[in-house]
Amino acid sequence: MKAGHSNLVKLILVLGLLFGLHATASAQRIRVITTVPDLADMTKQIGKELVEVESLTRGVEFMHAVPVKPSFVPRLNRTEVLVVMGLDLESSWLPALLEVASNPKILPGQIGHIDCSVGVNVMELPKTLDRAEGDVHPRGNPHYNLDPLNGRIIARNIAGGLARSFPQHKAAFEKNLNEYLAELNQAIARWEAMAAPLKDVRIVAYHRDWSYFANRFGMQIIGSIETKPGIEPTPNHLVSLAQKMQQEKAQIIIYGPQSDRFPRQLANQTGATVVRLQSTAGALPDTDTYIKFIDYNLRSLLGAVKKG
Amino acid sequence: MASFGDARRVAILSLLGALVLFPSISAAQDSELESLRAMIKTMQQDLQKALSRIEQLEDEKTAGAAKLEQVEKSIKTVQSAPSILNPAIGMVIDATAEHRAKAGGDFNLRAAELGISAAIDPYARAYAFINANRDEIELEEAAIVTTSLPWNLQARAGRFFADFGRLPKFHPHEYPFVNTPLSLERMVGGESRADGVELSYLVPTPFFLRATLGGYNKMGADNERLDDTRPHAWSRFTYLGRLQAYFDLADNHSVELGSSLAYTPSIRIPEEPHGGSRSLAGLDLTYRYQPLASVLYQGFTLGGELFGNTERVERSSGFRRVRALGGYAYGEAKINREWTAGFLFDNAPSLSSPGKKTISYSPFVTWSLSEFNRLRFQYSFLDDQVREEKTERGNQFFLQWTTFLGSHSHGFRTR
Repeated sequence: MKAGHSNLVKLILVLGLLFGLHATASAQRIRVITTVPDLADMTKQIGKELVEVESLTRGVEFMHAVPVKPSFVPRLNRTEVLVVMGLDLESSWLPALLEVASNPKILPGQIGHIDCSVGVNVMELPKTLDRAEGDVHPRGNPHYNLDPLNGRIIARNIAGGLARSFPQHKAAFEKNLNEYLAELNQAIARWEAMAAPLKDVRIVAYHRDWSYFANRFGMQIIGSIETKPGIEPTPNHLVSLAQKMQQEKAQIIIYGPQSDRFPRQLANQTGATVVRLQSTAGALPDTDTYIKFIDYNLRSLLGAVKKG
Repeated sequence: MASFGDARRVAILSLLGALVLFPSISAAQDSELESLRAMIKTMQQDLQKALSRIEQLEDEKTAGAAKLEQVEKSIKTVQSAPSILNPAIGMVIDATAEHRAKAGGDFNLRAAELGISAAIDPYARAYAFINANRDEIELEEAAIVTTSLPWNLQARAGRFFADFGRLPKFHPHEYPFVNTPLSLERMVGGESRADGVELSYLVPTPFFLRATLGGYNKMGADNERLDDTRPHAWSRFTYLGRLQAYFDLADNHSVELGSSLAYTPSIRIPEEPHGGSRSLAGLDLTYRYQPLASVLYQGFTLGGELFGNTERVERSSGFRRVRALGGYAYGEAKINREWTAGFLFDNAPSLSSPGKKTISYSPFVTWSLSEFNRLRFQYSFLDDQVREEKTERGNQFFLQWTTFLGSHSHGFRTR
């Protein structure tokens, strides 16, 4: 009985110690999970030493087909803040994970849930919500991170969201935000100058994720390889797309995590240049930050235009 | 001499002048530099202000457009206000054309499944699936799930698919193949449908580990060994425990393991009015190869479940244990974005005479025209020793067409 009692005391002490350690660790840094590496980079820039950030995806995934990995669940369970792109970009995988993550404060609408799409001027809001139009995004095109001006909105949303949860660090977040925005503004000025040769260049994209990017740098998207969002092309569609590309002198075919089979086939028929771009940061060593990732896409595209 | 003296004087005066004047010249230069510096600083500040103003104007422009859009949206919202809080609604239509060598042909409308789901309040959500087929309309699931219990707990109540194994929690249209494996059908009773309560606990480990405890009237949609239509003794209820774990072996490789035990202290089946206890154990293992960068085009799943059933039944010589062991295993590979192919092996014993088995082999191919429209062809050969049903033997061919209308999700369990 006595031995049992002392064992119980030991157990309580060990548990207490574990909880104590846990509490100390959490007091040091704010745990943040983001869905994509772009958001992780910006959160690091804004939170600096106050945060510990991890992105669930690596940047190599096709955002509409991210595997629902149970290994994401413990991370979502422990995080204090969840930063998402929103506009249903994560709708095919995140809700199922949140269902079992047992973390009410990061559910949509709660204080620990930062939706970076708030305030973005959304493109391509569907006129009709009908799956005959393919895998439509009811709230508009969610790939807004590809417009660097939206990068500023994302950064502000992150800083605002962090300050809502942790008002004691508001001044630090604001200071870091201003520093980051200054850096981003310089980069934007540089990109706008760099992108002059892209003006009025006609492009074809595999999926409709390049609208924001094209809009910012003055390119014209004349068609997509998918017949409708998420629907693979039919032979007829490819034939008419090739004809349209020749008529309208399209120079570039952009694709992302999709197979290069159809882009190459079209390039052979039309003489256009194929270029693989990234729709989120993180996939390549030189795209590990948001600024480097936009830079990479722009340079790749400029290279392709020069080649074309 | 005078001129020399004059020159000397001039030189001395010049020197003195220079000595007096030079510092003032350099002082003048300094002050000019200072003022230039100040001017540049002011210009810098002005430029910074102008840049900030441009940025502010651009943001205002964007925000203005966004606000306008929000107003437009809210107008639309107001217009559709009476239906805006309706739950998500969807329907699955699952039909097959079948030929079974010993039973004949059939056009089989297997399911028209209506699904409804929504949050109830900040504390719970609910979902329901009502399925109609050519025989009946039945309530498959109608469950309430908590969303904000503390200590990593989640409770579920109502009618739902009990947390037993992996495929028992799938609606048949979610299977990678056409039919419910016979082992699952005979041993679990098809889907693990149950009326009762469940409590799950997400164990705070670095890897995914979840434990579930449950209590139900009975488990198994087609389980006729227990009656759940009227109150009965607590000893005739089914009690469940399950542990489920998941590990990423590498970036693209993962393994999921689960073990379940459903225990019924006392079963009553028509031929065993004084039935003893029943334990149904399950072990499930799923290996997945999901190359992150090309998951649209490549992938492989290897899944299987082993079921062990132990029943104490009364014989003339007293109570005796009857044990049956069965299960299935399948592999499925993604060939490209639209096509997958696989093979299912199934070993299904008869629960009452475990020596007799039905063993089946089924290759299948699936063509996903889109995420919501799927065609599947399957051939099955069933080697049947049980000899109870004509539909469970010989060569069989299936063509299945499954479509999804509206909102469709069975959530985490069928990922």
